[in-house]
Amino acid sequence: MISEKKPGKICRYGMAIDIDKCTGCGACVIACAVENNVPPGNEGATDLTGITWLRVFKVDNGEEYPARQAVYFPMMCQQCGVETPCYLVCPQQAVDVDPATGVVGQMPERCLGCRYCMAACPYHSRYFNWWDPKWPAGMEKTLNPDVAPRMRGVVEKCNYCHGRWHAARQRAAEAGLRDIIPGDYAPACVEACPAGAIQFGDLNDPSSAPAKAAKDPESFRLLVKLGTEPKVYYHSKREWARRIGDPSQAPAPKEPARG
Amino acid sequence: MDKRFIPAGVSRCSTGRFLLWLAPWAAMLLFGLYCAGLCLVKGLNQTHMNNRFAFGLWIFLDLTVIALGAGAFFTGFLLYILKRKELRAVINSAVAMGLMCYGGAMAVLGVDVGQPLRAWFTFWYPNVHSMLTEVTFCISCYLTVLLIEYVPIVLKNRKLRQVPSFLVFEHELHKLVYVFAGVGTFLSFFHQGSLGGLYGVLRGRPFAFREELGIWPSTFFLFILSAAAVGPSFILLTTWLVEKIARKRLVRPQVLQSLGRISGLLLAAYVLLKTVDTLIWLGRTTPRSGFLPAQYYAWRPFGVWILFAEIALFLVPMVILLLPKLRARAGWLVSAAAMACCGVAVNRFVLTIQTLALPTLSFDRFLQYLPSWQETGTFLAVLASAVLVYSISFRYFELFPEEGDLRRELLRAPVTEPALAGK
Amino acid sequence: MLPWNYGLHWSIGTAVFLGAFYTVLVIVVTTVISAAVRSRRVLRDGDADAVRWNSDFYALPARDRACRHELTGEVAQRECPNGFDCRKCDTHRMFLDRRTASTPGGKSYEGFGMTFPLDRLYHRGHTWVRRERNGTVTIGLDDFARHLVGRPDALDLPRKGERLRLNDTAWRMRKRNIDLRVVSPIAGIVLETDGPDGEWYLRVRPEQPDLRHLLEGFEVQPWVAREMERIQAALSAWGQAPEPGNNGQPDIAAVGADCPTACWEAVCGAMFLRP
Repeated sequence: MISEKKPGKICRYGMAIDIDKCTGCGACVIACAVENNVPPGNEGATDLTGITWLRVFKVDNGEEYPARQAVYFPMMCQQCGVETPCYLVCPQQAVDVDPATGVVGQMPERCLGCRYCMAACPYHSRYFNWWDPKWPAGMEKTLNPDVAPRMRGVVEKCNYCHGRWHAARQRAAEAGLRDIIPGDYAPACVEACPAGAIQFGDLNDPSSAPAKAAKDPESFRLLVKLGTEPKVYYHSKREWARRIGDPSQAPAPKEPARG
Repeated sequence: MDKRFIPAGVSRCSTGRFLLWLAPWAAMLLFGLYCAGLCLVKGLNQTHMNNRFAFGLWIFLDLTVIALGAGAFFTGFLLYILKRKELRAVINSAVAMGLMCYGGAMAVLGVDVGQPLRAWFTFWYPNVHSMLTEVTFCISCYLTVLLIEYVPIVLKNRKLRQVPSFLVFEHELHKLVYVFAGVGTFLSFFHQGSLGGLYGVLRGRPFAFREELGIWPSTFFLFILSAAAVGPSFILLTTWLVEKIARKRLVRPQVLQSLGRISGLLLAAYVLLKTVDTLIWLGRTTPRSGFLPAQYYAWRPFGVWILFAEIALFLVPMVILLLPKLRARAGWLVSAAAMACCGVAVNRFVLTIQTLALPTLSFDRFLQYLPSWQETGTFLAVLASAVLVYSISFRYFELFPEEGDLRRELLRAPVTEPALAGK
Repeated sequence: MLPWNYGLHWSIGTAVFLGAFYTVLVIVVTTVISAAVRSRRVLRDGDADAVRWNSDFYALPARDRACRHELTGEVAQRECPNGFDCRKCDTHRMFLDRRTASTPGGKSYEGFGMTFPLDRLYHRGHTWVRRERNGTVTIGLDDFARHLVGRPDALDLPRKGERLRLNDTAWRMRKRNIDLRVVSPIAGIVLETDGPDGEWYLRVRPEQPDLRHLLEGFEVQPWVAREMERIQAALSAWGQAPEPGNNGQPDIAAVGADCPTACWEAVCGAMFLRP
């Protein structure tokens, strides 16, 4: 809908995340929150009621010392490409899959807050505003003027920093180009990662990192058998880590991961 | 004091006693409204729902209450379309109960969503892929139909019917009641099914996901069948309960046994189809999603016992209700009806709460959730308002048309003991 | 929802879905409106009383709606399907043909301390109709009703020239602060009115001479017996019982004085077919 009638190159933006490189520093999480005006946690918020469009999990291989190994696992909206669960279930079409970019967009102004999309998402990448967003005095100066904050009672999620995409298109238009200048558009988390673990690109472009990761046998995606075609490719040299994406290989119930 | 409003031919307790009965429920309603008010004013952080447990007590109870309220449409269908005349004795009560159930569910949904004032967006931008759109449309229409079916019951009040326009309007509406019964059946078919479809389409939750028959997942049809099976049981249960509380005979025992038999037959169909569906789900659908059936029941407290409990709570009442000798005895009949109602509650619970509790990602954890007092209070408001409206309807409207006849018979021949006074 | 909503994706699914929704909406709204329109027409045509009689008739318990032929024993059990209007009834015609030409009656029936002259026909609402020589009829209250009500405190009779319809309200009486409506046994124009002091209440020119729907001759006795049963049942529903009178039979006149107002109202409602 957003770009139904606009001509141009059809992109399918995705990510390639190397979990061997991720140090778990959380800079991506902060950058995301700053870029997208994610409100700080209200009083009484827990890790299950706070909003983190991007979240880093620590996952280990279940072994005891000295065989114990762990990886840090950044997770955001996987931008499901086929049978997008949240898009199909929203009763008032507040979720939109942009055909020009493949990004699954959320319209908080239309969201009723029924949370059906949250139940539908297998990756738990949708977050609900359980409180009215409040920024401490003085902190409102840090708000990003290009991104609208959301209100209480609606759902929000990662949209690959759509404000930046719009800004990149603006710059391309000013330069007289039809398509975005390559490399001009990248989400905040990609920019912020000091280890360069998160890479961004167009899956339709064979030279981009995600497109290469798609073909790499050491890459994997989460819950592939569900058929949602997520566009985030994780890479690890460690075999046990590559099994993270396969739920049937999950270890027996025990100490859960900390997010 | 209010004797002029009480229907002719029946006796009701004194006004004082009635007010005494209403008082605790009114208090509960006020408390519940306060809880709902807290949730509306302060936000949904008043509940214990969170980003992983997006649905909680309210959705579970909504689904259960709508399944139980299916008795309204099904009794209407049986009476006005299939012409089962004996159900005339309970249709008014069924409509009142249905109105309570659906009205309560809609009220709770108004509190459950983050932005209730945007509820009309679903009508303005309907997403036909979404089951929730279907649910919203159908339930809104059906609530309207139930209100229209309830109006004649109100207008037939002894004092109100003396107004000529009320009397005539009621008469004309009643002539067309089969239209509403038909529309109600059509709408109920779809919304009961869509409520099942809500979970059956969740590709991301293999515990709930089911394969499709046509354009709908199998849970669509199973929910319709379970609602139709349990509706008559719920009418049976509530009628018996009202008889006990009011200490009056309200219906002939044959009516309740007829309801029980219908319930039993539908339960049989349901148990058969559910077993087939469960086997397909565990044997084929789940592995295709990349999960293992054992993973569903690996977490305490939801072990395999819950699967068997769900089927047993349908199987046992089915057996009881299909055996005429057991059906004839009040104790067995009512216990079976209660079990069937519990069975449907467990079924809805499993599909809402257990679905969300189970992990999807391999490093996810099993989640626990207990409702907060504000959530519980809100639902108590629904219960209290249902009891209040039903009590008032029972006192002033003719919810049980046969009550007068039964009372006259009892007075004529006092040696006949009421059949439902116990085992 | 509407075709011009921006951003609404139209597809076969949307068309089917919204089509079904609008169809249902139209059906429901049309039905309610048609009920309202018909109601207005009924009220405008003055047919409200016929609807009320229908409603009152079916509010009576099944036993009280017994067919006159059940009362006489001609049939084991039958509920009247016509609101006591036997002129429309094929079954009644069949029974009339079956009856022998002469039906014994006598001059009057006496029972339970009351007298029912048989020169007149009786309506089940306790009024009688007597054909007069000049083609008019007179209408009065029978002994049962007179005993029950006694002398009314106030009377609301129809005006001369007013039109009565069968089973509408003929006149109203007020007793013990309760409004009693008497069901009209025939349709016609009111010519003269009298009152409880005279023999009759109304003199009416009937619209049609057919009085087959009224009870006659040998039917009166079983009917009165059933009415005694009915009044005792109505009283016992309130925990009351009529006192035995001088002749050992239950004394109906005492009912009016003894039982509480609400009970009396209910009993009169039942006996006058206006519950």
